[in-house]
Amino acid sequence: MGGFLRRHKRVIPYALLAPGLLWLVFFYVLPGFQMLLTSFWSGTLETGYEFALSNVSNYSDALVKYSAQFGRSILYGGLATLLTFAISYPLAYTIAFRGGRYKNLLLFLVVAPFFTSFLLRTISWKIILGDTGIVLGPLKDTGLLPDEFRLLATPAAVIFGIAYNFLPFMTLPIYVSLEKIDKRLVEAAEDLFATSFGAFRRVTFPLSLPGVFAGSLLTFIPAMGDYVNAQLLGNPDTTMIGNVIQNQFLTQNNYPTASALSFLLMAGILIAVAIYARLLGTDELTAGGV
Amino acid sequence: MSEKQVPHMPDVSRRQFVQGSAMAGFAVFLAACGKSGASAAPSAAASAAAPSVAASVAPSASAEPTPKPSTSAELNWANWTYYLDFDPKTKKSPTLDQFKEKYGTTVKYEEIIDDNDLFVGTIKPQLEAGQDTGWDLMCLTDWMAARLIRLGWVEQMDLGNMPNVVANLQDVYKNVTWDPTNDHHVPWQSGMTGLGFDKAKTGDLTSVNEFFDPKYKGKVDYLTEMRDTIGLTMIKLGLDPSKATNADCDAAIVEIKKAKDAGIIRAFKGNEYAEDLKSGNIVLSMAWSGDIVQAQADKPSLAFNVATEGGMLWSDNCLIPKGAKNAYTAQVMIDFCYDPTIAAQVEEAVNYICPVKGAAEVLLAKNPDIANNPLIFPPADVLARLHIFNGLDETTEKYFNDQFATVTGL
Repeated sequence: MGGFLRRHKRVIPYALLAPGLLWLVFFYVLPGFQMLLTSFWSGTLETGYEFALSNVSNYSDALVKYSAQFGRSILYGGLATLLTFAISYPLAYTIAFRGGRYKNLLLFLVVAPFFTSFLLRTISWKIILGDTGIVLGPLKDTGLLPDEFRLLATPAAVIFGIAYNFLPFMTLPIYVSLEKIDKRLVEAAEDLFATSFGAFRRVTFPLSLPGVFAGSLLTFIPAMGDYVNAQLLGNPDTTMIGNVIQNQFLTQNNYPTASALSFLLMAGILIAVAIYARLLGTDELTAGGV
Repeated sequence: MSEKQVPHMPDVSRRQFVQGSAMAGFAVFLAACGKSGASAAPSAAASAAAPSVAASVAPSASAEPTPKPSTSAELNWANWTYYLDFDPKTKKSPTLDQFKEKYGTTVKYEEIIDDNDLFVGTIKPQLEAGQDTGWDLMCLTDWMAARLIRLGWVEQMDLGNMPNVVANLQDVYKNVTWDPTNDHHVPWQSGMTGLGFDKAKTGDLTSVNEFFDPKYKGKVDYLTEMRDTIGLTMIKLGLDPSKATNADCDAAIVEIKKAKDAGIIRAFKGNEYAEDLKSGNIVLSMAWSGDIVQAQADKPSLAFNVATEGGMLWSDNCLIPKGAKNAYTAQVMIDFCYDPTIAAQVEEAVNYICPVKGAAEVLLAKNPDIANNPLIFPPADVLARLHIFNGLDETTEKYFNDQFATVTGL
């Protein structure tokens, strides 16, 4: 075996790639293809389905019918991504530059919520933010908030929920890129009479951009497709496209529409990411070498 | 009501099973992918032909029973969990043992159903081809029962073989639109949909109008179950859900939309409405009787009422799949369970609503807590107010679902 590999060195990269590729082919490409076919079906579970290219209207129909939910997915996903960025950057900065010997402990704390199920964490938000729960209850009792005020079943709750659930996806990549910055560069900037903010703006922040880019993708992409937060923390006017897909697939048995919506979501995310990459510049991505 | 009064209440309700396993329904879809399109013509033809053929073969209820076949050596029964006095560990059930003693039939009882679509998906190819599915008896929810009857995939029963069913089935279950001859399905267990509320905050509520009262703005949950929410709204409008038409649906949607736009509806929920009631986020919800019985253990101030104007009734029903080998024995089995003594024995273990007259009286001496529980044995005046939702054909069902989606935001 070893002899074979030594003689055929070019095989090695393929052999290393094989498990990942097979995984992707079986669990992504094949189902994806099946889904693509499904999106061109018409018919119902009861009468059976028929494939026809003319059913491309599934796409336009779905887009028109669910444009509000698509809009909300982009809006909530985008706002949640901004929010996680606003929270994560100072957090990652502090851990990277001021963490000292507590660095590992602090990083562990960032990841710690992940040891609990996603669903459980979202449900516990319901308990914390309940109308008469531990946060709002006392505020209402003291008259600081009107009695009918609520956080749950509002768009804010959905956005906060998403931001909370995806926080580590933003924090960790930013931390990694900040961690790697050579401190001497900052010192050099200050030696050249840069203020500490100037050094941050011209040296530290640009060098951390790859982390910001990776983090915002890791947050935005799943946030767009998320439906758990809207389901548990939202109301009928905060449903996102993920909720529609879930309902079409599992309740209505309307597989063609659900598949078309899934592909539209995928396309939407690809376009959004392409624009984002264009704006931030792809060179920045590889420069930091995340 | 204390926990003690419902000693055998399962930890997970039937509805939760339905919800939890909805994911599994997707597997059916994958299985169905392989043969898309092929089934359209035969099933449509079958549904048109079945009633007339069946009617000419089987004698009607009033006719003298034909010479009786003998009961078979075995019977295959598919059911949901917690739906019989059956212990899945020991595979023992007093009811099934007594049946074997009386008729010599070994019942192979499998708690195999936890989703209507998923289960029917496993036997659909045989049903389409008119072959034996391997099951003689299965219990499925109203809407699925209606669909299978419409498609002609269910054996007609001979009520002459089923004197207990004829005598003891509660009247409210009779003459549903989707089985006008009452001989394609027999109800097994039921649940009610009505007002679930926190009486410490609202007092006693007895009207469907409460769901639309601005007094409870933002404190009311509706159900994600289309038939329940539209049904209760139709009752509010004075319409009959058992005969729901597209126009009724439109009227109900307008009403629901008004309540939503006025901010009265906080959310559309499945079982989670019970959590909202318990935490105090809401004070009133469209609710299932079984859930409230369980939630009362945590919060005794919760209560359930069927509105004076009416409520909804859903059931899981005994059906004999087309081509079943032991169709006669299946009818004997159903009839056996409609003996009030046996029904009482089953109900002690199950705690859903029992459709059998006389079972409560039998239980009264033995287990009065269950016999007197209005959520398990609703009094006659409550039963009389309940409606079973109309059996919608596929186009109508899609119309209802689409309309309903415009208010739920899905």
